[in-house]
Amino acid sequence: MGRFVLRRLWDGGLTLVALVTLTFFVMRLAPGGPFSKNRKISPEVLENIQKSFHLDEPLWQQFGRYVWGLVHLDLGPSTRFRDYDVGAIIASGLPYSLTIGFWAIVVAALVGIALGIAGALRRNSATDYLAGTVGVVGIAVPIFVIGPLMQVIFSLKLGWFPVGGMDGGWRSLVLPVLVLSLPNIAYISRLTRTSMIETLRENHVRTARAKGIGARRVLVGHVLKGALLPVIAYLGPAAAAVITGSILIETIFAVPGIGRHFVDAALNRDYPLVMGITLLYGGLVILFNIATDIVRGWLDPRVRHGG
Amino acid sequence: MGRLFCRAIGGLALAATLVFGNPLLADDTLDRGIGSEWSSLDPQVNFDAAAGWIQMDVYEGLITFGPGSKIIPGAAESWEVSPDGMTYTFTLREGLKWSNGDPLVAQDFVNGVLRTLDPATASEKGYYFYSVIRIKGAEALANGETTDPATLGVTAPDARTVKIEMLTPAPHILALMGAFQMAPLHGPSFAAKGAATFIDAGNVVSNGAYVIKEVVPQSHVLLERNPNYWDAANVKIPFVKYHVTEDVSTELKRYQAGEIDITYDIPLNQIEALKAATPDEVKIAPSTEVTYYSFNLTKEPFQNIDLRRALSLAIDREVLEGKIVKGGAIPSFSYAGGFDPDYKGPQIAEAAMTQVEREALAQELYAKAGYGPDNPLQINIVSTVAEDSVKRAQGVALMWKKVLGVEAVNEAMERKAWLDAFYAGGWDVFSDNLVGDFAGAETFLAYMRPSAEPGYNWVKPEYDAAMDVAAAIATKPERDAALAAAEKILLDDYIFAPLAIQPTRQLVKPNVKGYEASAAGYYNSQFLSLE
Repeated sequence: MGRFVLRRLWDGGLTLVALVTLTFFVMRLAPGGPFSKNRKISPEVLENIQKSFHLDEPLWQQFGRYVWGLVHLDLGPSTRFRDYDVGAIIASGLPYSLTIGFWAIVVAALVGIALGIAGALRRNSATDYLAGTVGVVGIAVPIFVIGPLMQVIFSLKLGWFPVGGMDGGWRSLVLPVLVLSLPNIAYISRLTRTSMIETLRENHVRTARAKGIGARRVLVGHVLKGALLPVIAYLGPAAAAVITGSILIETIFAVPGIGRHFVDAALNRDYPLVMGITLLYGGLVILFNIATDIVRGWLDPRVRHGG
Repeated sequence: MGRLFCRAIGGLALAATLVFGNPLLADDTLDRGIGSEWSSLDPQVNFDAAAGWIQMDVYEGLITFGPGSKIIPGAAESWEVSPDGMTYTFTLREGLKWSNGDPLVAQDFVNGVLRTLDPATASEKGYYFYSVIRIKGAEALANGETTDPATLGVTAPDARTVKIEMLTPAPHILALMGAFQMAPLHGPSFAAKGAATFIDAGNVVSNGAYVIKEVVPQSHVLLERNPNYWDAANVKIPFVKYHVTEDVSTELKRYQAGEIDITYDIPLNQIEALKAATPDEVKIAPSTEVTYYSFNLTKEPFQNIDLRRALSLAIDREVLEGKIVKGGAIPSFSYAGGFDPDYKGPQIAEAAMTQVEREALAQELYAKAGYGPDNPLQINIVSTVAEDSVKRAQGVALMWKKVLGVEAVNEAMERKAWLDAFYAGGWDVFSDNLVGDFAGAETFLAYMRPSAEPGYNWVKPEYDAAMDVAAAIATKPERDAALAAAEKILLDDYIFAPLAIQPTRQLVKPNVKGYEASAAGYYNSQFLSLE
């Protein structure tokens, strides 16, 4: 198991290095730069500004400077948000994204798995159809439709939760968490249902039943463990995506997280911020994938020995 | 295991409540939207107009902008102008203090200008001092040719006097003496912490009606009344909270839910409905942003003035802004007018005609330039991907097609690419816009000087000469007349089609008193009150 984890970490590190290198150079291919906004600045002054961000140096030298900074845990200054460096921007936004993402994943996993199990055990019953409907709606209706709809119903009409911002304590969390968890509830419930139905038909379950083990024990001890494998495989990467924030959720609900930097930083050609966000996201995806592998390896010996 | 999990979740919930749960009483707080996040709270660096509102509340310049952006005495109680109009001497109020109680002296204003110009500050605002107005020595300091502060034409002969010496007269100088362009610098706190001092909420030292109490990136900046402000007795609202309102639809809902009192913008597709429902809350007024379509003079077809004129005349500006774009922009036949009621500028020659007559003339000129149904002009229009910008380009393309038979396609690109595309020159028609540095004609006309902006490839010595004449005049009415003469030369060449003046669009709650829309766009909270 130790070697398995080490190997995964090593692969992850290599992926990260490739990610940093590729992002750094590909980003510079886009036309425009961080300071191409004010045509009235004289070339000399623009040059001075560029110089203060080392944008006048050859690209390979800038890359070297960036990597050197990374080694010293310095993500560099932001060219768009002049008061903060990239590390501070991430540190300020991440807790909000983490909080909302964490709850969304908890809600999605609990509700999704429950719905999936209920659907699988009572196939073609009202519960199954309800779960199916939630699934279809969650997947098919986009966040930018559901989000504003919920704001109109729960904030403007009923006045239960604030429309946006983070000033309302736990109330501010309800709508974004709900909307963010919906598509995941949908995926998870469908995954669980399908996988449960398959597992229920397996020989070891039939054997367990034939041995006269109680229905509940069969379900918990024999069915669930196998049935949840694909769900866990999904949860890892999904968690990385959800906790690093969703640009749509954060924009619609005015959450001061880091999700919107994914797009805005690129649009503003804020090179260091793009790099920082990419690194963070890449790093988390890799970490969660490793964590997922470890959990799967623990549940299923084939994974830790075969892979 | 289960209990542990529950406890962990409970702990996180508690932590979240502690982090997020700090609701302020809404009654004594003015909540304002500012669109995207402020790019900086550093008064010498910030270049965003919306972040400028925060800056105008927190700092005070020599002058300040009262209701309707009227220029009124700020930190300076009075000023004198030399007969040649090149030297301004400001006298500060007696007993001015920084928010921490330190005395505010004239040298603090000089230091603010020096820091703006210092290349190490990497500020984009230095050109206010060497281009918009031409202060002695400013350009050399900005270019790094010298670092000697004594060479600058902004000096403090004594603690209450700020003297500004310019190379050419500039009657518009007062519009650049506000906190957005020229905030003073508190030496000790800057020396101690550097630029980090400006976001050090609760400690940052400022001289405006408010102080910064809380800064949460991407979320808000909370301001509290500054007890050491000279006019603190007349500041009515105790707290002002500037919210990041990036999404205009969310901002509208937050306004409707009572979370925001003054919005940053109004969604284009909601303007009509809101006007019908709450006409008194919808505030749409001209800003200092003009929209115009520039023709690429390096390309052969556009070197023919008949064609440029035909394209300009074929656009029905009323229909374009009123029926197609529907963003509240004001159709315009001029370039630099419309902001300053004192400036009587020209319009393009055909402005007095009806649209039918203009279109007939356009068809005539188009044929004269050698184009027709068998030989249509094929061009692109390069615009940004902003909703109104795309709608406008599509509308213009449609009109050119209908009136002249021109085959125009819209190439929409994101903003940074669009900015670079201007210099790359791949465009035939550039969906152009310009925001004025102050609410006056000169800021636009100076920019169109071939010597100032080579990107238009417009060679016109007469225009430069006419602008030189205007730039030497010290009194505003005479200077305005000379500027109008220069604008006529500009418009007569049809190097662009002026289209519209962009508006500011805001929703203001009925209980907010003292709000007055203006082109300059300053709405200092100190002049507002809540009922």
